[in-house]
Amino acid sequence: MYQYSQADHQLLQERVSQFRDQVQRRLNGDLSEEEFKHQRLRNGLYLQLHAYMLRVAVPYGLLSSNQMRTLAHIARKYDRGYGHFSTRQNIQYNWPKLEDVPQILDDLAKVEMHAIQTSGNCIRNTTSDPLAGVARDEIEDPRPYCELIRQWSTFHPEFNFLPRKFKIAVSGATHDRAAVAVHDIGVRLVKNDAGKLGLEIYVGGGLGRTPMIGKLINPFLDPHDMLTYLEAILRVYNRLGRRDNMYKARIKITVHETGEDKFRELVEEEWSQIKDNGLRLRDEDIENIKAHFKDPEYETLSDFDADYDAAILSDPEFAHWADKNVELHKKDGYRVVYLSLKSRNQPAGDVTANQMDAIADLADKYSLGAIRSTHRQNLVLSDVKLKDLHRLWKELKSLDLATPNYNHLTDLISCPGMDYCALATARSIPIAQALTERFDSYDYLNDLGDISLNISGCINACGHHHVANIGILGVNKKGVEVYQLTLGGSAREDASIGKIIGPAFTADEIVDAVSKVLDVYLENREDETETFLTTYRRLGQAPFKERLYG
Amino acid sequence: MTLQVYSASLLKEGLVAYLCIDEDGISWSTDLNKATAVDENSIDSLKAEAERSEKENIVVGAYAVEVTQTANGLEPVENRERIRAYGPTISLPQSGSGLSGQHAA
Repeated sequence: MYQYSQADHQLLQERVSQFRDQVQRRLNGDLSEEEFKHQRLRNGLYLQLHAYMLRVAVPYGLLSSNQMRTLAHIARKYDRGYGHFSTRQNIQYNWPKLEDVPQILDDLAKVEMHAIQTSGNCIRNTTSDPLAGVARDEIEDPRPYCELIRQWSTFHPEFNFLPRKFKIAVSGATHDRAAVAVHDIGVRLVKNDAGKLGLEIYVGGGLGRTPMIGKLINPFLDPHDMLTYLEAILRVYNRLGRRDNMYKARIKITVHETGEDKFRELVEEEWSQIKDNGLRLRDEDIENIKAHFKDPEYETLSDFDADYDAAILSDPEFAHWADKNVELHKKDGYRVVYLSLKSRNQPAGDVTANQMDAIADLADKYSLGAIRSTHRQNLVLSDVKLKDLHRLWKELKSLDLATPNYNHLTDLISCPGMDYCALATARSIPIAQALTERFDSYDYLNDLGDISLNISGCINACGHHHVANIGILGVNKKGVEVYQLTLGGSAREDASIGKIIGPAFTADEIVDAVSKVLDVYLENREDETETFLTTYRRLGQAPFKERLYG
Repeated sequence: MTLQVYSASLLKEGLVAYLCIDEDGISWSTDLNKATAVDENSIDSLKAEAERSEKENIVVGAYAVEVTQTANGLEPVENRERIRAYGPTISLPQSGSGLSGQHAA
C-alpha cells in the first residue's frame, strides 16, 4: 500500500495541530459554533443524534494490520468499544468527545490515517474494488489511480467549496464491485482490442432523493490524462452546479439539467485549455505510484490442497462458508476471504475493538498483514493460502465473523438510521436485524442465491436502497415509521435504479412483505440459476405487486 | 397534557442534555426526567436560558421538545426525540461480545 512521504507526514501533523488549536478556541469560546462547524466538518467530525461522530478515511478501503490496531485502540480508549464501517469503505465512531478528537487525529496520523475530507462539500474518499490487485477478472489494478486521485484531490484549493459533496469510485475489473455507476464520477479501467489501457469516465451518477445512473462521457481516456480530465469535469461542475438549492446541487442534477451532450462539450472545452499543463501524468508519475502497489512475495503454490479438500468433505459448516465467503485469487494456492460483518449479533458494518485487534492478528498470521473494507460493509483478507483456510475459518467463527452470507440476502447494507443519524426519518438497524433473524437459514439463503437487500433510514439513501435488488426506504409518515419497498436495483455493471412497488409497509409488516417478494421469485424463476434480478427483469412488477397488495 | 422542555447537545461531550432550572440555578442534565417542563405559554423563559447557555459555550443547537407527563416521568412525543432521550433502540456492540460464535452459522 501507499507509504507516506515526509511531506505527507508533515501535512498531517500540521493539520492535527491546527485542529487542536481550533478545538481549544471553540472550548474557550473564541470560536462560535457557526464558525467552528465548518472546521470540524473539514475534519470529519459531525454532531449527530446522540453525540459527536468522527468519520475516519480508509483510502480506497486499504488498511494495514497496524492501522486496524490503532482503530481498535481509538474505539476502546475514546469511544464505546466499537466502530462502524460505512458504504464509503470508511470507519465511523459514534461517541467521541470533542476534547478528545485532536488526540484521536494525532493517534491516526502516527499510522498514516486521518479524517480529512470525510465530510463537507469537497472530494471525498475515493472508493474502489476490495479485490483490487488480487482479482482474477482484473484488467488493471485500480489502486494506483485511486492514490493519484487522492493526492490530487486532498486540499485541492479550487475544489474545497464545491456546490455539494463529490464522490469518485474506480474499478479495474470486468465485474464492478465498486458501484461506479452511482458515483459523481465513476472510472473504469478498460483495454481496447489492441490491449491498450484506457479509462471509461462516467459522470452524474448518484443516489439520494434523485437517483441516477452515471453517463459515459468519455469511453476511452488515456490514463495519462486522468487528472486533467477530472479537473475539467470538476471545473465545469464548480461553475454550473447549483448553490441555490442543496437538493439540486449534486453533479447528477447539473448533468441532467445541462444535458449529457452539452456537459460533455463543456468538459472537452475546459479540458482543451488544461490538458497539457503540469497535471498531465507522465509515465514516471504513474510508475512511481504503481511501485507502492507491487505484488507481495507470493509463494509458488499448487491450487489444490489435500487437507483443504478433506476439511470440505468432513466439515459441512466449513464447506458452506468456503462456498459463500471465499473467492479465487489471481495466484494459484491463494484465496480471497470475506469477513462477514452481518451476523445476527451486531448491526451491519459494526466491529468491536476486540474484533478489530483479532482481525489485525489474523491478517498478520494469514494474509500478509493487509485488510480491505468493502462498500457493502464487510472486510476482506485478500491473500490467504488455501491450506490455511480451515484454520482461519475456525478463528473467524469464534469471533462471529464467519456468517456464510456474502452476496446473499442477509449480507445487507444498512445505514445507521434514526438510531444514530440526525438526518434519518426512520430506523433501519432494527429492520435489518429482524430480516437477518427471519432469514437466518443457510439452506434458504443458498436457495435464493445471489441477491442484494439494502436499507436506508431516509431519502438521502446512505444505505444504497435504490441499487439493491430489494431496497427498503424508511420514512416518517405522520409520526409513524413506514417502509417503502423498491425492486430491481443493481449497483453492478448492469446498474439500475429500483422502482417503488407500491404503498409503504409498517415496521411490523415489512419483513413479511420481503418474504412474499422472495416467494414470488422462488415460484417463478426458470431454474435455480436464474437470479432474483433476472427473474424480476423478465417478469416486471406485476406478480410481485399482486402478491403484496392482492 | 403536552409540555415542553429544552434540549441541546453538550459542547464538550456532544451528549443529549436537557435544561434544568431549580432553586440551585441553571444546569443541563442528560436525564430527561430532571428537565424543567413548562406549558407553551412559559416556553420563552426556557428559551432565553438555553440561548444564554449556548452563548456561554455549554451547549450547542438548543431547541424545544414536546413531552408528556406519564406515570414513569416525562416522555417525548416524537419518536426521534424518544430515541434521543433514551439512546439507540438496539443493543450496542460490546467489546466482550462477538467472541462466542454461538450464532455463527
